[in-house]
Amino acid sequence: MRLGKVIGRVTLSAVISGLQGARWLVVSPCNRDHFPQGAAAPEGLSREPSLVVYDNLGGGVGDVIGFVEGREAAQPLEPVAAIDAINAALVDHVFHSPRR
Amino acid sequence: MFLARVEGNVTATRKHPSFEGWRLVVCQPIARNGSPEGTPQVAIDGLGAGLHQRVVISSDGAAARKAVGDDRSPARWIIIGLVDEVTPGTTALEDAVP
Repeated sequence: MRLGKVIGRVTLSAVISGLQGARWLVVSPCNRDHFPQGAAAPEGLSREPSLVVYDNLGGGVGDVIGFVEGREAAQPLEPVAAIDAINAALVDHVFHSPRR
Repeated sequence: MFLARVEGNVTATRKHPSFEGWRLVVCQPIARNGSPEGTPQVAIDGLGAGLHQRVVISSDGAAARKAVGDDRSPARWIIIGLVDEVTPGTTALEDAVP
């Protein structure tokens, strides 16, 4: 999974079957230069493109989350749905010590 | 599979239940000479990788699901090995001389 900062939410008026009532977050992925440290989200936005993430953990704007991309994102849903990014962890704390 | 360096760890109380009990470590994909390439990935670690240790991470979700023992897990990245050396030129912890 990658880490990202929740920067918004999406609500859908029409949705394909199997995904009614889902929560959707707009997430800005963290890169090496914009990485969370401790309990705080990184300031500003990274250069990574933002994406929409399916959420069943209750993430909110300003939270740091761990999201999984790809086929594996649909794995927790039964039946498997049209999801390619899912919130897999609400991050409490990050220790990051990049080696320069 | 990527060569990566462990650069931290993540704690999360609220997460998919399949991650319960697993270390979540920040893995920075690196080139052979140790320079970072791309965005850090958080991988599950069953081998006890140390800070700044080189590892190999795999994106095979089927293998990760088998490791955590949950067919419904979204797990994808998993540390599959601790690097001893990369030839030519590097040891487990030291970067190559450019």
